[in-house]
Amino acid sequence: MKELSRAQIRDLMGEVLKNQGKALPADDAADLREVGFRSLDFSELALRVEDATGEELNFDAPGLRRIATVGDVLDFLVELQRQ
Amino acid sequence: MSDPTTPAQPVPPSSVVLVSGGSRGLGLAIVTDLLESGLKVAAFARTVTPELAKLAGAHPERAHVGPVDVTDLAAAQAFVRAAEERLGPIDGVVNNAAVGQDSLHVHTATTDIARIIETNLTAPLQLTRLAIRRMLAQGRRGRIVNITSICAQRGFPGLVAYSATKGGMDAATRSLARELGGRVLVNAVAPGFFASEMSAVLGQTQLDQIVRRTPTGHLTEPVEVVPVVRLLLRDQTNINGQVIVVDGAASI
Repeated sequence: MKELSRAQIRDLMGEVLKNQGKALPADDAADLREVGFRSLDFSELALRVEDATGEELNFDAPGLRRIATVGDVLDFLVELQRQ
Repeated sequence: MSDPTTPAQPVPPSSVVLVSGGSRGLGLAIVTDLLESGLKVAAFARTVTPELAKLAGAHPERAHVGPVDVTDLAAAQAFVRAAEERLGPIDGVVNNAAVGQDSLHVHTATTDIARIIETNLTAPLQLTRLAIRRMLAQGRRGRIVNITSICAQRGFPGLVAYSATKGGMDAATRSLARELGGRVLVNAVAPGFFASEMSAVLGQTQLDQIVRRTPTGHLTEPVEVVPVVRLLLRDQTNINGQVIVVDGAASI
């Protein structure tokens, strides 16, 4: 299975935000609420990762609720690809 | 074949009740209440918890419990036959067994969607069919209570497949009530979210929001649902084909 790197996922995250006229901060500690990255944006990002890797990434909602920063998003998706 | 409308005899109170998913939570509360009310109860679940086993031990003459996966129709059939040999003919069914969901639809595996539908919709329809066939074949009347959910009527994220199954059971409740012509009373009880489930299924923000919007000021507890189930199984009413919501008016 092809796996995207953290940097590649960050690029995709930037594209998701750019399409909405928003910018992805360089700081991984940036708060998602301040960035304007919502749960459906997370879904879009996860689906873009799926498209790139060819593998479905299914997960339950509780994991999402712990995600608060840009770094959390990247960590979650990196980890998810390895499961 | 069309049936003339004739006044049906009242359906007597259920005395031997089959409860699926009776090992914990609301199912266990229902089993406990029915046994304490003097009924005979046949309860199964995938696993017989120590709580259910203890309850059965306290009522050895009136309780029959066993490990059955509700999706295993052959096992359910065998359980029903064994239960009827011990307790007598089943004249009440509580379809309570269900699996939950906590994932956005786009991120729910197709196998999980199939499993939710099989457990929450196909299995209770099969179990109901089995029970009704036995009732009708023996010339008996009976009562069916389907435990559904407020999710069948209101939208909540993360519960798409689950809501679809509960909506399906609400619809089946109405059609069955029509189909069975008053010989078997068929109703549903739709609880709001239980406090115990909330932290798992919805986030704290949604939990707080639901409590704020609930006129009674609290989330539903199993003990608040149990009397409604007992009423539908036992009391002489003309309630049939209805879905009774127990949610403190959170959804109105």
